[in-house]
Amino acid sequence: MEKKIGAYLCSGCGIGEALDFKALEGVVTKEFKKPVKSHECLCGEAGLAVIKADMEAGEVTLPVIGACSPRVMTDRFMFPGMTPIRANLREQVIWSHPAGDEDTQMLGEDVLRMFMTQATKVNTPVPYTEGEFSTTILVVGGGFAGLTAAREAVKAGHDVLLVEKKATLGGHAASWSAIVPSKPPYHDPESNPLPKLIEEVKASSAIRLVTGATVTKTSGMPGKFQVELSHGSTHTVGAIVLATGFRPYDATKLSHLGYGASPDVVTNVEMEAKLSAGKVHTHAGAAPKSVAFIQCAGSRDPNHLPYCSSVCCSVSLKQAIQLTKADPDVMVYVIYEEMRTPGVTEEFYRAAQEAGVIFMKGRASKVEGRHGITVTVADALLQQDVPLGPLDMVVLATGMVPNSTDPDAPAQEYGAELLNADINPYPTEGDYKPAASVPPGGSLLNLQYRQGPHLPMLADGFSDSHYICFPYETRRTGIYACGPVRRPMDMGEAHEDAMGAVLKAIQVIRNAAEGMAVHPRAGDLSYPKINLNACTKCRRCTVECPFGAIDEDEKDYPVVNPTRCRRCGTCMGACPVRTISFDNYTVEMLSSMVKAVNIPDEFDEKPRILIIACENDAYPALDMAGIAGHQYSSFVRILPVRCLGSMSALLISDALSVGYDGVVLMGCKPGDDYQCHFVKGSAMAKERLSKISDTLKSMQLEVERVTMVDASIADSARLPKVIDELVAKINAVGPNPFKGF
Amino acid sequence: MNALSPTPSRAYDLNFARYVYENIDGGERLRMCMQCGACSGSCPIGQQMDHGPRKLFMMIRAGMKEAVLTSNTIWNCVSCYNCVVRCPRKVPITYILHDLANLAVREGFDAAKKADNARFAKAFMWSARKYGRTDERLVTGIYYFSFGLVEGMKRGMGNQKIALNMIKTKRMHLGMPHAIKAKDELQKILAKAQEIQDRHGKGA
Repeated sequence: MEKKIGAYLCSGCGIGEALDFKALEGVVTKEFKKPVKSHECLCGEAGLAVIKADMEAGEVTLPVIGACSPRVMTDRFMFPGMTPIRANLREQVIWSHPAGDEDTQMLGEDVLRMFMTQATKVNTPVPYTEGEFSTTILVVGGGFAGLTAAREAVKAGHDVLLVEKKATLGGHAASWSAIVPSKPPYHDPESNPLPKLIEEVKASSAIRLVTGATVTKTSGMPGKFQVELSHGSTHTVGAIVLATGFRPYDATKLSHLGYGASPDVVTNVEMEAKLSAGKVHTHAGAAPKSVAFIQCAGSRDPNHLPYCSSVCCSVSLKQAIQLTKADPDVMVYVIYEEMRTPGVTEEFYRAAQEAGVIFMKGRASKVEGRHGITVTVADALLQQDVPLGPLDMVVLATGMVPNSTDPDAPAQEYGAELLNADINPYPTEGDYKPAASVPPGGSLLNLQYRQGPHLPMLADGFSDSHYICFPYETRRTGIYACGPVRRPMDMGEAHEDAMGAVLKAIQVIRNAAEGMAVHPRAGDLSYPKINLNACTKCRRCTVECPFGAIDEDEKDYPVVNPTRCRRCGTCMGACPVRTISFDNYTVEMLSSMVKAVNIPDEFDEKPRILIIACENDAYPALDMAGIAGHQYSSFVRILPVRCLGSMSALLISDALSVGYDGVVLMGCKPGDDYQCHFVKGSAMAKERLSKISDTLKSMQLEVERVTMVDASIADSARLPKVIDELVAKINAVGPNPFKGF
Repeated sequence: MNALSPTPSRAYDLNFARYVYENIDGGERLRMCMQCGACSGSCPIGQQMDHGPRKLFMMIRAGMKEAVLTSNTIWNCVSCYNCVVRCPRKVPITYILHDLANLAVREGFDAAKKADNARFAKAFMWSARKYGRTDERLVTGIYYFSFGLVEGMKRGMGNQKIALNMIKTKRMHLGMPHAIKAKDELQKILAKAQEIQDRHGKGA
């Protein structure tokens, strides 16, 4: 079908009063030779009817709507089978610049030029829907989180393949005597839900159980993962839920807390076993009369686990309550530095106080004696060293180590260096400097990916990407982590986590089958296409992809796995020969949009500064600046990009060569505490920017002309000031000598 | 020494704390104390205390019985109830301090017997029992002379001017002490209170 572009300008919301519409219409008709219609309320029924009538008559197939921001009125400007191009004349023109001003008018016209140009360059995306797509969910791990995930996936109508390494189901939690309460009034330990859950899972015909097996190989992509199990069978699954859980921290490393020196110094896991067995006995066989819990045993300690495992406080509360309930005479002490009771576990802390448990704030500095143990406590509340004892038992509240690798499998050399680079690519400046290293053991899924067999991890070894913004995401699309492999959590949280990961798995299964992207560009039908004739096999796309979506074939050419792709365009920005493109997003399109702007000559004293803005945070923040009425220089031209990672360095040289006086990259914060929606897109942009100074020097241009600004969604008040400062700074450098060439 | 409460032999022996939980007025809420320190921070005379209430409560848990019962904290509380109002865990701190003072006296701690407020309270109760009201001359007299003859004279003389002014403004009178009408009724009330206290083993 032939593409027919038509522009529709809205004069509502004050746009008509602030801008000269005759001139705007002239841009469309004279410069682009396209039809244009203006309406006083385009988003109203009458306005929409104008567009729809033209579309139904076949006169227009791609409307360009010059009105409000593309982030608003999306439901109104939604037409069957296509997405209109939106030129933002409201938030980023008339709301952030003075009305009736010459510069505002020039800005409005340039915005229209940019998006009319975009319309001429985009093609309707053809989605990837080749072959069969599986709807089965593979759940790796048969502990509480895995079993819950399996059960919930079946409830939602999916078949499940559940793989458990051990011969029996239930994992660690199967042996817990009772669990931390997850229901109001959060006062008493709850009975262990595992036996019932195991029965339910075993009884379900939609769950195929494989125990005593591990995953030996995973290839493919969402909707068509090929999985090989250790006992030889192969399966096709649509998505993978990773619920491999945790292992308790190795207490033999805690000899400074008496572990090993006395049989009555036990870990919380060993205590749980004693509680499960019935009556708690000391090594000598007597019922303990005084028991101390030492919190943070090996946790929040740079020599052991640098992080807080979040559950150990609640577990000690539970065990202390269980001990006092069994024998009201027993003296129970909890030695803590900070009592951490996430969620409503505070109520459980009160319950322990009611039961008479004594909480001693301070650090246990020494644990001595084999029987009648004495713990020396630097008591912060009494401000003195207190010898606590003789104690019959000491319980070390040890933390959780994520099973993000299989500790029983041999370590794989291949991929470790890639993972290492991924764990902590940009160490922060602060005190917290975790050593980035691959945890011991083999990979869990043995991914046959260019970027290695491991799932990427956070610095502490947890398989997640961002706790807050994208929970469950492992940075490998279609593989979602839940439970303590993702972050330390109790069973109440693991229950919710399992459901969350299953929902993500279902999303990816459904979207992949229709060729649509998942979060954050959910629904995007485009995917990267590589012209291999021009490819130089430089491998930058295969290495830089934040999601490991691009593999290499036997001839070292890149191979895109479309359903792994998140459509950020980092590959497109990385490609030095501009041979990677999307149907509706190309370097050429961006470059043409940049060049569509009218650049006044240097005597006009009207500089032009290009802002390349990430559409996830920077662009909406600029919209909000307009909504709040913050004004900023009308010399800037804003180019939205999917992610700063998709910004090719060539775009900057293109802009400078046509006479822009400066370029500002506005994107999410990169680094260890990144806010980038595509994990490392903005980090890649920063990396590319660091290398651009040579290009600038070769063009005889000042390095100050190109800057990068971190922008967050909350920066609407700050960005206008930043823009004005940068405009002043670039102005001070003087006009770009390339103007007029 | 007349030990009513168990004396711990080691740090954090909970026998004394448990006695306090069960026998001291308001003590059952004490186990809920979370050591936030709102009480000590709110106390207008915390500066005049050996330990603030927060630390005193931790000392109870730590089994520091003697240090608790000989501290001046339990005597210096002025019952302003700032701490009680502010305690996030609803610990009736004032009651607990007063009843700990009571316990200290009953256990015969020297420091308790000799505490300023203990002497005054004793003189006050004597007058209240005898006349049903306080007689300023006799109460101050008994209180002053509890420090000994010389000290009593010295304190009495020191307050001469105040006493004369009080007489002038009819806040104090010369002659026989006034008594209330139904003195026997009051004594019955006091006897009943004593009976309740003995029965429950708690003050008030």
